[in-house]
Amino acid sequence: MAQVAVILFWFATLLYVSATVLYAYFFLSKRAAYSWYATFFTGAGFLCHTASIGLRSSAEGGTSLGGPNTLVLLAWALVLLYFVMEHLVKVKVYGTLLVPVSLVLMAASQLMTVKVGAVSPLVENWKIGIHVALIVFANAGFFIAGVGALAYLVQESQLKRHRTNVLFKRLPSLTNIDLLTRRAVAFAFPAYTGGLLLGVFRAIETDPPGWWADPRVMLAGLVWIIFGTYIGLHYTQRASARTTAWMALAGVLVVTVLAIVARTVPAGFHVFGL
Amino acid sequence: MHLILVGLSHKTAPIEIRERLTFPAHRQAEALAALTSDPAVAEAVIISTCNRTEIYAVASVEEGVDAVINFMAEFHSLDRHELVRSLYINHGESVVRHLFRVVASLDSMVIGEAQILGQVKEAYDHALNNGATGKIFNKLFRQSFEVGKRVRTETEIGENAVSVSYAAIELAKKVFDTLEGRTILVLGAGKMSELTAKHLVSQGVKSVLVANRTFERARELAERFNGEAIRYDDLYERMRDADIVISSTAATHYVITKEHVAQSMRGRGGRPLFLIDIAVPRDIEPAVNDLSNVFLYDIDDLSGVVESNLEERMREARRAELIIDEEFSAFSRWRESLEVQPTVAAIRARADIIRRSELEKACKRLGSLSDKELQTIDALTCAIVNKMLHGPTQRLKHAAEAKDGYEYIETARHLYGLDESEGRGHGKLRDLLTKRAKDVSETTGNEIGDSLGC
Repeated sequence: MAQVAVILFWFATLLYVSATVLYAYFFLSKRAAYSWYATFFTGAGFLCHTASIGLRSSAEGGTSLGGPNTLVLLAWALVLLYFVMEHLVKVKVYGTLLVPVSLVLMAASQLMTVKVGAVSPLVENWKIGIHVALIVFANAGFFIAGVGALAYLVQESQLKRHRTNVLFKRLPSLTNIDLLTRRAVAFAFPAYTGGLLLGVFRAIETDPPGWWADPRVMLAGLVWIIFGTYIGLHYTQRASARTTAWMALAGVLVVTVLAIVARTVPAGFHVFGL
Repeated sequence: MHLILVGLSHKTAPIEIRERLTFPAHRQAEALAALTSDPAVAEAVIISTCNRTEIYAVASVEEGVDAVINFMAEFHSLDRHELVRSLYINHGESVVRHLFRVVASLDSMVIGEAQILGQVKEAYDHALNNGATGKIFNKLFRQSFEVGKRVRTETEIGENAVSVSYAAIELAKKVFDTLEGRTILVLGAGKMSELTAKHLVSQGVKSVLVANRTFERARELAERFNGEAIRYDDLYERMRDADIVISSTAATHYVITKEHVAQSMRGRGGRPLFLIDIAVPRDIEPAVNDLSNVFLYDIDDLSGVVESNLEERMREARRAELIIDEEFSAFSRWRESLEVQPTVAAIRARADIIRRSELEKACKRLGSLSDKELQTIDALTCAIVNKMLHGPTQRLKHAAEAKDGYEYIETARHLYGLDESEGRGHGKLRDLLTKRAKDVSETTGNEIGDSLGC
């Protein structure tokens, strides 16, 4: 079963690669047929991805919450959220921007595998399961917001400089991108807050020494502050969309450090060893 | 009978001539009846737009063009010699290619414009309803609509704005996504700002504010858009309500400065502001574009967008030409099936295959025959087939020259089952027939079909 899970994982990766190429071609040529094929390949990849996660969980007697598997779950959540988003906003161009991010996460899960320290027995608790699930979905939402913020800054720059190149023509309007970014943060932030609270509750319950000084906990707090400020500024209309786009990008940078870079440093970065 | 096109367009004739040679909808029936009453013309379609008048006809080779030119001159009481100087005349395949280019809007004044497809459809409908079309034009025009549709869906020939007003709309949509529910402020009641405002209103803009030095003129323009005229002194205050500002005053200095806009941006709730300055000299200080959430385009910027879009359309036009090539080949294949020479060659080839096959069977039954005997039998079968086919093929060639000649050809193809063999029949037989027809065609030249060469 574990072998089938691995095969399905690589099938999913291959399908995401095909989808990325098709989305790129669609972006450049704007031929609708290619976006249809790209969506089809992404969907097929997602099914293989889901089956791979399911089979691996069955084979291992539960879903691994540490190391590279979290990135695989993050890539899966990102594709799932992308489909939900595409259903809501009907803008295929976002596939060109988001499917490659999933692909990078899939690759990172394999390339950046490092030995982590033993997982603490304290994680054997339902709260940690939900904590990880919420953080994974929140991170996927933040990645969507980050991609949206980047697209916003690029499109705004094109408009300011009066450029009418392919990027300008293919990217959606500023209003559309800003709305997508806001919605992504509005979805991700409560999930992130819930995830952090559960983690904190569990930490208080078990009281491992110095948990509050854990670098991952501190960085997670920073992410929460950045996106909290983003929401506050946006909804009180005290900052321009450009400023909040930069904030979202900064937030996603910290999320990337937490989700990918932190996996490569020796154990001890997180008291729970995940 | 073959295809001819006689016409004039913005490329060959000035407006003074074009306006004298129009065929408005209410006169199409009369014109088509007059045109097809000429024995030289079998089918006709008249396309008449502000930029072109073209008469497409299936007509006799010798008299067709004269018949059409005479009709044009007589119908509009024009001097024939004067008229001929502005006309272009196409024959055969170039007519098909020209029509496909027209429908794809590659021959239009503004490449990629959308109206021409509807205009050609309308012209064809007139011809169809007045019984002026037949098998060839029904096929040709329907295929041309397919060309137009493919070009519009498979290329982006019509997607980028090529006028300053539409470029402004296109850019505004890149900021606001949709213009529905937006507010525009028109500064200056000139023609250009009115035109741009008109285009914006057609996109669903909710309210129009008009400011002008002369309040009365502002009120006049505002009434045209069901908008609100505002006092010039309130301009900067009311700019806060606007999403789009169009400025086109005759002022010789900046009417809107960076400071004015910076003040207006406060308390707007983060809404972007899009400013279009179409005045020369400019009304809006260029530094306004440096402000966050503010996007300023002057007339040169808009012209730059138009130029870039035109280049884009030219690139798309090259893709459209490829579609036209494909459709042209498809039509040519269909039309070839109605040509007399390939048909006669195919009949001959089919007869020869049967003759050879039967000869082979007979030789097997007869046992060993001398070479002389074989040659005699071969010559005998050749002579029988030639004599059997000579009369029908000669009459077919003659009939094909007539007004409804293609019907004879089609009947002959049906009776001999040629389309079945060539299109849907057994692959081997089809290949054999095609090869044989080609051989016959190549070896006999003009004498095609008169003998099997044996």
